[in-house]
Amino acid sequence: MDEFEAVARADELKEGDMGAFDVRGTKIAVANVAGEFHAFGDTCTHLGCSLAEGDLEETTVTCPCHGSQFDVVSGEVLRGPARVPVGSFEVQVEDGNLEIKD
Amino acid sequence: MPETFVVVGASLTGGGAAATLRQEGFEGRVILIGAEPQPPYERPPLSKDYLRGESSFEQALVQPPGFYGENGIETRFGVRATRVDAAEKVVELGDGEGVAYDKLLIATGGRNRRFPIPGLDLEGVHDLRTVADCERIRTQIAPGRKAVVVGMGFIGSEVAASLRQSGVDVVVVERNKVPLRRVLGEEVGRVIEGVHRDHGTTLIFDDTVAAFEGAGRVERVTTQGGHRIECDFVVVGLGVEPVTELLASTGAEIDNGIVVDEFCRTGVEGIYAAGDVANHYHPVFERRIRVEHWQNALNQGPAAARNMLGKDEPYDDIPWFWSDQYDFNLQYTGFHTEWDELVVRGNMEERSFVAFYRKDERVVAAVAVNRGKDLRRSMRLIKAQRPVDATKLQDPDVDLRALVGTVHK
Repeated sequence: MDEFEAVARADELKEGDMGAFDVRGTKIAVANVAGEFHAFGDTCTHLGCSLAEGDLEETTVTCPCHGSQFDVVSGEVLRGPARVPVGSFEVQVEDGNLEIKD
Repeated sequence: MPETFVVVGASLTGGGAAATLRQEGFEGRVILIGAEPQPPYERPPLSKDYLRGESSFEQALVQPPGFYGENGIETRFGVRATRVDAAEKVVELGDGEGVAYDKLLIATGGRNRRFPIPGLDLEGVHDLRTVADCERIRTQIAPGRKAVVVGMGFIGSEVAASLRQSGVDVVVVERNKVPLRRVLGEEVGRVIEGVHRDHGTTLIFDDTVAAFEGAGRVERVTTQGGHRIECDFVVVGLGVEPVTELLASTGAEIDNGIVVDEFCRTGVEGIYAAGDVANHYHPVFERRIRVEHWQNALNQGPAAARNMLGKDEPYDDIPWFWSDQYDFNLQYTGFHTEWDELVVRGNMEERSFVAFYRKDERVVAAVAVNRGKDLRRSMRLIKAQRPVDATKLQDPDVDLRALVGTVHK
């Protein structure tokens, strides 16, 4: 789909936090890195855990189950066991709403 | 003459080391030797998704099949290195070939311990280390079949769970009174015990196998405690011993594996060791430790390779591993042999917790069940080696990241 969908109020996602949202059937995670939002696929490509449940350090998210690391800006794999990127999505704040384009 | 670096052990450690030599710009010859016929692959799926038939072997490969040739890495797969002649700087192979080296990395890993139990050689008595072992066990799996798993360490526990998930009736015989006692202690072991009991596995503790019995093929297992367990097949998981004998005549120190310093160097010029086989001096814990887990294999091989190239980088990753059993994700980080108290954050009964092994007011290790985020944050706490207040560790509202670098009192 080619349009932004509002998923939450932007101020609900504090700095250093992550949230996961269902956007038309796709689970998308959003990370707040020093006030900037980044949206990426929430489902780890290794064995399917939710990355939003993991740990965020600067722009690196670590999967809570098996430690795979992804760049939240690009969705690229930084460290295995995952080998396939999670993908990245456009995100914007409109009228205080956090919006994602899937 | 260009230099030749030889890696023995075509595993996660060895394959990673060979790749790292190229990535770091080494232009000499790289020769990767492995006893198994396959290119390097990861072993964690062998007791889990691959054993259950849920993933392919290709997914477990460390590198795509063409990688080694494309990167000028010569391979000798399916041939065992038998002896190292350190004076001549030659690795002797089982097929008679001698491979000369300038620098050598030993990443031979471990082999399963075999105890002299009567009937161990009967058909249907398996153990699990390689993909070939795994495929033999896979042919035995079918709903309603009966299996006995011997030993409830990580391999035994994971295999028991995978068999049960595949519909096999499972009885486990374990010499301790809880699973995973040696590594995790009794309190955490009891949580894992509960998980297995809830899935209908029969657990026999404080008991050992007397014999595997059957006419040619295993039909039952008898125990010292007097149990007679009828079964269709057996999987034995009684631990691993490091494969060190090829260095026997080199003068390298062998003590619970190949002894190496923080740079993965043995005492013999030009010979390094990494992975399961290496008893490595860990600068954080200030002692030697030998780790038989994925992360150590993944990172220590490349660290050794960089040191072969003269980078002088001590390997100081905090050990970490996971174990998936049913829907439970268990993770451990750190290193401990003893502890003063186990401080629990979360709820052990609900099977969502992180438990900190605290020694001299410091966190030396942590184990988590379904609490991966906290476990990840514990790594920094362990590396910091600072005293930490137990009440703060317990309090779920205290961010573990905030405890790193905070001094107690």
